[in-house]
Amino acid sequence: MRKLIIVLAALLLCSASFSQAKITSATFGMMEARWLGPGTMSGRITAIEGVNEDGKTIYIGSAGGGVWKTTNAGASFKPVFDKYCLSIGAIAIDQKNPKVVYVGTGESNMRNSVSIGVGLYKSSDAGDNWTKIGLDSTEHISKIVIDPKNPDVIYVAAPGPLWSDSKHRGLYKSVDAGKTWEKILYINDHSGCADIAIDPTDPSIVYATTWQFRRLPYVFNSGGEGSGVYKSHDGGKTWKELKNGLPPKPFGRVALALSPSSPNNLLAIVESKETGLFISSDGGENWKQQSATANITARPFYFSVIKVDPNDPKRVYRPAFTFAYSDDGGYSFNEASGEGGWVHSDMHALWINPKNTSQLYLGTDGGVYLSLDRGATWIFLQNLPVGQFYHTAVDSQDPYRIYGGLQDNGSWVAPSSSPGGVGNSSWQAIYGGDGFWVQPDPLDPNTAYAEAQGGNVGRVDLKTFKTVNIQPQGAQGEEKLRWNWNTPIVTGAANKKNLYIGSQFLYRSRDQGSNWEKISPDLTTNDKKKQQQEESGGLSADNTSAENHCTIFTVAESPLDENIIYAGTDDGNLQLTLDGGKTWTNLAANYAAAGIPAQTWVSSIEPSRFSKDIVYATFDNHMFGDHKTYLGKSTDGGKTWALVQSPEFTGFAHKIREDLVNRGLLFLGTEMGLFATVDGGQNWFRMKNHIPDYALVRDIQIHPTTNDLILATHGRGIIVVDDITPMRSLTRDIIEKDVVLFDNKPIELTNGKYGDGGFPNTGGWNGGNPPSVQAIQYYLKERVNTGDVKIEVYDGSGALVQTIPATKRKGINKVYWNLRMTPPKVASGGSKTDFSAFIAPMVLPGDYTVKLKVGDKEFSQKVKLVENSADKKFTMEGRQAQFKTAMELYHLHEQLAKVVDDINANQKMLKDNLGNVKSDKVKKLLNEYNGKLEELRASLLATKQNSLFADEQRLREKISDVYTAVCGQEAPPSNLQVQRVGVLQQEVQKAEQSNTAINAKYLLKVRQAMTKEGLLKDDKSTLENKKGN
Amino acid sequence: MKTLKIGLLALLAAVSVLGTQAQTLDEIIEKNLAASGGKDKLLALNSLITEGTLNINGLQVPVKVTAVHNKGQRVDLTINGIANYTIQTRDSGWNYFPIQGQKKAEATPPDVIKEGADELDIQSVLLNYKEKGHTVELVGKDDVDGTECFKIKVVTKSGLQQTLYIDPANYFIIKQVTKTKAGGQEQEQTQSFSNYQKMDNGYVFPFSLTGFGPGELKITKIQVNPVVDPSVFKPAN
Repeated sequence: MRKLIIVLAALLLCSASFSQAKITSATFGMMEARWLGPGTMSGRITAIEGVNEDGKTIYIGSAGGGVWKTTNAGASFKPVFDKYCLSIGAIAIDQKNPKVVYVGTGESNMRNSVSIGVGLYKSSDAGDNWTKIGLDSTEHISKIVIDPKNPDVIYVAAPGPLWSDSKHRGLYKSVDAGKTWEKILYINDHSGCADIAIDPTDPSIVYATTWQFRRLPYVFNSGGEGSGVYKSHDGGKTWKELKNGLPPKPFGRVALALSPSSPNNLLAIVESKETGLFISSDGGENWKQQSATANITARPFYFSVIKVDPNDPKRVYRPAFTFAYSDDGGYSFNEASGEGGWVHSDMHALWINPKNTSQLYLGTDGGVYLSLDRGATWIFLQNLPVGQFYHTAVDSQDPYRIYGGLQDNGSWVAPSSSPGGVGNSSWQAIYGGDGFWVQPDPLDPNTAYAEAQGGNVGRVDLKTFKTVNIQPQGAQGEEKLRWNWNTPIVTGAANKKNLYIGSQFLYRSRDQGSNWEKISPDLTTNDKKKQQQEESGGLSADNTSAENHCTIFTVAESPLDENIIYAGTDDGNLQLTLDGGKTWTNLAANYAAAGIPAQTWVSSIEPSRFSKDIVYATFDNHMFGDHKTYLGKSTDGGKTWALVQSPEFTGFAHKIREDLVNRGLLFLGTEMGLFATVDGGQNWFRMKNHIPDYALVRDIQIHPTTNDLILATHGRGIIVVDDITPMRSLTRDIIEKDVVLFDNKPIELTNGKYGDGGFPNTGGWNGGNPPSVQAIQYYLKERVNTGDVKIEVYDGSGALVQTIPATKRKGINKVYWNLRMTPPKVASGGSKTDFSAFIAPMVLPGDYTVKLKVGDKEFSQKVKLVENSADKKFTMEGRQAQFKTAMELYHLHEQLAKVVDDINANQKMLKDNLGNVKSDKVKKLLNEYNGKLEELRASLLATKQNSLFADEQRLREKISDVYTAVCGQEAPPSNLQVQRVGVLQQEVQKAEQSNTAINAKYLLKVRQAMTKEGLLKDDKSTLENKKGN
Repeated sequence: MKTLKIGLLALLAAVSVLGTQAQTLDEIIEKNLAASGGKDKLLALNSLITEGTLNINGLQVPVKVTAVHNKGQRVDLTINGIANYTIQTRDSGWNYFPIQGQKKAEATPPDVIKEGADELDIQSVLLNYKEKGHTVELVGKDDVDGTECFKIKVVTKSGLQQTLYIDPANYFIIKQVTKTKAGGQEQEQTQSFSNYQKMDNGYVFPFSLTGFGPGELKITKIQVNPVVDPSVFKPAN
């Protein structure tokens, strides 16, 4: 019996799932995200390749923002890889057929925060479409080289996984343009291939460098017996290790360059006990040491590029911590000038246009620079929004401000909207170093807390940007404080006075960080084996706080009770206090019981705002080579946990966020995408909504008053989805219907929040503004391809105010009514566009009806139009005065249009008949009549204007001047605007009288004369109708 | 009984295979042409006069498109009594926009004319595309405002690159992205099509278009194979 019930229940479930419409991001069709940037501070660039033949088609690969393409040398860029993994390691273009482009995912600048790739992609149409062509498990790809003589031959250098041993590393070769791959150089499962060069004159000569490296969460090692420099004479079938003149092994990472114009000349930066630059002039058989300047030896694992000018073997470029160039083959180096502005340090990519070697593109940790003088000076391209945020926060100002910390690039703030849109000038840097958490003080709009790496936290005055260091210091007898690279600074969700910061201990301040109270013991595992950071780096010491471990990584105060605080550590502890920090319980074993691995980073904790018992947490285990998405939920205050799973999930988890209003609505940000559920986690879907499919979503906020979803992405800057209320209100009942016209909230009457400032954008990146007029919203179960869709708005009396073309997309549609009537009929013709024909008065507050017509079906909703709450000066009385004046002018336009129509009709009649008139006398009469009409017409509207720059004002233009001003302003008309109406009314009356007088004088005479000529038949009715004029 | 069961199972299997089987490019094109009225009808299409209105903030702007297959196209646009037009033929092109202060028709640059030559095909770029020398490729499926569409890439003989998105529910083209390179700059134009209606003569046309100007172009009248005076393709101003 029990089994039967289960079977029946399962059947029911199946049938239910068949008949139900599925909720996906398409359901919320028009809810499209804005990309706010910043462009003024960009992000890490990992690869740059240009099309040699035109020098202006350039592909930019970024660390977490995908591939961007320009076809105009950098004036504008478009993302071309937004459906795939956004971490880019290498790009190659087949220069014989530049439509063929290869992209290797997974950057190879192996820092702690590096992201992970999923293989190699190919486009055969210059980036419009991509196909995955293998190497799926390589995780990191550092270089792709195409045989210049036979583009079917491709080499791919794959350092391979950073966080685990793997056989999927080494040098790969394809001889069939990427269809099949063979691994042609493999050392062992912890040494991959870092660099490769081929001799363009004899492509069977191949050079490659191998690299042994490994990270653990708490230590990095570059170097080992697996590293080496190799040469093949047979396209990679056999290899010989090159050693003569190179330093003694072990090596670390070796950067290699071949001089394209003199291919026996090689350069190599060899990381070793004595890192330096080595050159060879005999194809690598013998080497000698050259420069060992700081820029050559700097961080070899991170700065792995050295390049030679394509035409000049002596001109060598070393983009690294700074930009250096040599004119003597690498013996001595110059540094680039700072003239024209600071050039971002930390460089990873360089493209030299081989047809114009003065033109260089440089990829840094802060974006792309262009040089037109061989690298001496640089121009920053401010239009690539690929910054890597770790966290974001918002305040309660209007417009609210968005705060966030950028990898390599400090802490920033920008308003969520701004006149002209959120552009480069909207963003301001407020704190230096690498940026992570930035928290606005919820009670003091002039203060924010920001940090640099390793817990270097400051209180920032947002007016002056002066800072006070507020990092807690160790006490007598205490162990050294351990601060995570990305130290949590968190303000209280229940008590807004609380400010928390975590080392291995949790601290709380209630006076803006001036005084701190330690409210926990060491909450980590305090495993000493994981605290040897001073040994980190391998052959080159590298201890920048990035490997600090056994630290608190995330802190969350319950929105319902300030005494309930969760703290998660980077070594797997999830700690809870119910008494404001007096006592702590470690929940690590509880979540592990749900199948979440121990020792994972607890990447975020979300205590529910709806119940003290509910808590969500995300866990990130990628530093142990495990990329699974771990999301845990507890409904008993952390005692037991369930692992929330979905086939949709990709990427390790960074952030879980519960909606502020609807407890079933949750958002999950991972290394590869944003996911949402509207049913409490039973069904998840990937949020697209103009968000790159695999965006690296590190943090998520929901604004409590605007209902915006704010994303901190690690590679695409700040992304905002304006107003997610449709996600809260969509019920199953609604989505099953074909069409639903939503009950609209009252619409505020406004032209929008901002003026336009009078000038268009002159470049840079602009994320625009949210719509500041409320939309009319409706739901369509499917796209409407047959039948018309439109919206009609009726006023309280039932009169049609305007018909608006409506969108037809599947899911939620949003149509913006300009809140105006239909424009007047304006006197037609003349030599000038009269903009009154496009402008109508704004309607008055009141009750209106919206009718949505879909094919032959009609849906109707009442809507209330109300005054603009943001503009108290524009009162109802003022609106009525404006409407009255606007309508008087509207009627004047229509009155004048009637006169002009009449003149036009009579002139047409005369023109049509003149050729057929035989009598000279009659001809003269017709011409005379026409002349009088034209004289009048020329006084009523501009007819002579010779150019856009020669103004001609006649009666129509005079009316338009004041009509467009009155209609456009959000203010009552001025005394002189009102007076002007009277003046113009008289002029229009005069025009009517003149027209009547001319017709009285000529029309009957003309009619009689034409009747005599036998021409009147066709025009009899017209003429008779015109008699009255 | 057993046979029936097996038969049913086989049928079920067949149906599910049918349902999931990927369609080839030619099958999709075949269905798209059928949805447009059929191959024969399209082949018989020699000229079209399409009339409609653009709604700009409530102002109705009359638009008239006169096209003769592979010979020429003229768009007339009358804004508040001021007549503007643009003409394109295989070897010449003219633009006359007095609303922008233009006094006489100005010639279109030759590379624009050359690149656009294949747009004068009014029968459908997909019809007999091989004979026409176009390259057509089914790229896969792609999302158009929430509708998963067939994505078809066309490179015409004249080098014009178009991506067509076909709704699998009815095989109508609902979106078209055209990439042009004339004038030394790469540009993309996106157009969408809806309100497909079958006319009494059997032709099926979209009666709503976007991307041809501001807002929606609503078609009110389509004349199939009217006589078109060749002089309309010569500038009068």
